[in-house]
Amino acid sequence: MAEIYKMHGVKKIIYEFKLQFVITIIFLLIWLAFYMLNPSAFSNSFTYTSIMGVAPFTIIPAISLTLVIITGEIDLSFASVMALGPLVMAMTWQFFGEPTPLGILLGLLAGLGAGLLNGILITKLGIPSLIATIGTLFLWRGVVLVVTQGFSIPLGQFKDSPIYSIFVGRLCGLPVQFFWTIGLAIIFWILLNRHKFGAYIYYIGDNRTAARMVGINVDRVLITVYAIHGMIAAFAGILDSLEMATFWPALGDIYMLKSIASVVIGGTPVTGGVGTIYGTFLGGMILEFIEMGVLSSGVSGFWIRLVHGVVIIIALAAQGIIRKGELAKIRIMRMLTT
Amino acid sequence: MSEENIVEMHNIVKRFGAVVALKGVDFHVRENEIVGLVGDNGAGKSTLVKILFGIYAPDKGEIIIKGKKYKRLTPKKAYELGIVLIHQERTLCENHPIWRNVFMGRELTNRFGFLKIKEMKELAYKSLTTLELTKMPVDTPVKYLSGGYKQGVQISRALTFEADLVILDEPTVALSLAEVQKVLEYVRELKRKGKSAIFISHNIYHVYPVVDRFVILNRGEVVAEFYKKDLTPEDLSEIMISIARTGRVPKEYEKLNLYKKASSLQVAS
Repeated sequence: MAEIYKMHGVKKIIYEFKLQFVITIIFLLIWLAFYMLNPSAFSNSFTYTSIMGVAPFTIIPAISLTLVIITGEIDLSFASVMALGPLVMAMTWQFFGEPTPLGILLGLLAGLGAGLLNGILITKLGIPSLIATIGTLFLWRGVVLVVTQGFSIPLGQFKDSPIYSIFVGRLCGLPVQFFWTIGLAIIFWILLNRHKFGAYIYYIGDNRTAARMVGINVDRVLITVYAIHGMIAAFAGILDSLEMATFWPALGDIYMLKSIASVVIGGTPVTGGVGTIYGTFLGGMILEFIEMGVLSSGVSGFWIRLVHGVVIIIALAAQGIIRKGELAKIRIMRMLTT
Repeated sequence: MSEENIVEMHNIVKRFGAVVALKGVDFHVRENEIVGLVGDNGAGKSTLVKILFGIYAPDKGEIIIKGKKYKRLTPKKAYELGIVLIHQERTLCENHPIWRNVFMGRELTNRFGFLKIKEMKELAYKSLTTLELTKMPVDTPVKYLSGGYKQGVQISRALTFEADLVILDEPTVALSLAEVQKVLEYVRELKRKGKSAIFISHNIYHVYPVVDRFVILNRGEVVAEFYKKDLTPEDLSEIMISIARTGRVPKEYEKLNLYKKASSLQVAS
């Protein structure tokens, strides 16, 4: 057993990344199941293009949410921030009468500010993150509703502008927002695994006392993580409103549970300390494949939630079994290193 | 052992509400000296070292480190000044590999903050080799290690950062006999490398083999100081039992007590 960490090559990779392998297998099984149920839909490139068009709105906020959850905290308010960002953008565009990059910048800054507020409430006032972000969830949705009076803001008149192509255009026939998603996933993977800041995020989630004792400024790291998450949520909202060519006040609502589920299916436990961007990405793709698969199979859309629920439970059960097996190994290895 | 003090704490007072945990404690550690800080529960041992490491701020008194005065420290500042606190399993991240734990908080990076992973692994390996901790590769998550091995990783962290003073707060709690011996060997290695250490333990038989000097705290006050060479473990045990019962050092040991201020007060009382 002590030889586990003396393994080399593929065997070692499989052992170390077993959770990622399990998620990958679940993803492939779901794809296979839907392919067999409806071969014509799942051999058609349009199905995949459609998934690539909508999956970013779940996956992008889930990527930055992974950072928050690794620190052992939570953020529910991002669903409202997903509306706040594009609202600021839409109002700026309306004010100038053209789709100016300033609108995007102000939208992102609004998200950054909302994230900063969360971070300050949690670290400086000591409010538990669940409670603090329920408060800001209502606050920002309330602001959006009061400002818009419940009305949508059409953005169709700006659809031919270059800014649209940059964010939600088509590249080689594929939705550009999917490339943004992959780009952000790579950047966040590098941040988490190759940068000092990512290491601090993991340490804070794993053992906050230890992080403080070695001189890590825990509050500053948490505030930064929330600020980044706010900005990325606003970005996802901006992409969604551009794709739909309209801003609507309920934007973001449906993504809250889906994004959290993506992170959890991906193997990031809410207790923090561990987690991967790869897992979150696949977790989000699993949910989108289910949605597309159920709809293309011709059954009622009401089945989507049911299948989502079953898959979430299966994924969590698989993770639970892996972690339980791990506990037995820990006991044996500890004896061997005595 | 040098006569130069690496750390001095003067007249340290710490209150927690109505409770006075430390009542004007004077304490020092010399260069390349291992000090055993002993005393009963509630004596103020952990409070004193937490003040030295910056976890608590003293209500009164001053701390002098390498000749520079401080009213209070923070863990970050203490770390920068070369002080490392080793607590029973508390300063490690269980899910992360040994090498990350060795460099935790002081990662080697390029100027953009990107980690120099290969370099850190190599240095961690070298540092662990000096403590003969080579049973497991540096990639092994800490959760797989035994308690003694974990303490070794923490001491390796102190050695890697060239810490001048290592505070060991009950490092042998919940360890098997064999593992206690290992931890004691790590402490001897610190001494061989010219470092200083404060070793806190309830168990004088764990402290005795490795320390140069004992400082005995009782109810927030230093009551006695002895050189190890002047006492046997049984003597020390007798002194501690007497202090716990009467608050005094037995008469036959008074002449060996280095803490004259305390002894004169006791005689007066």
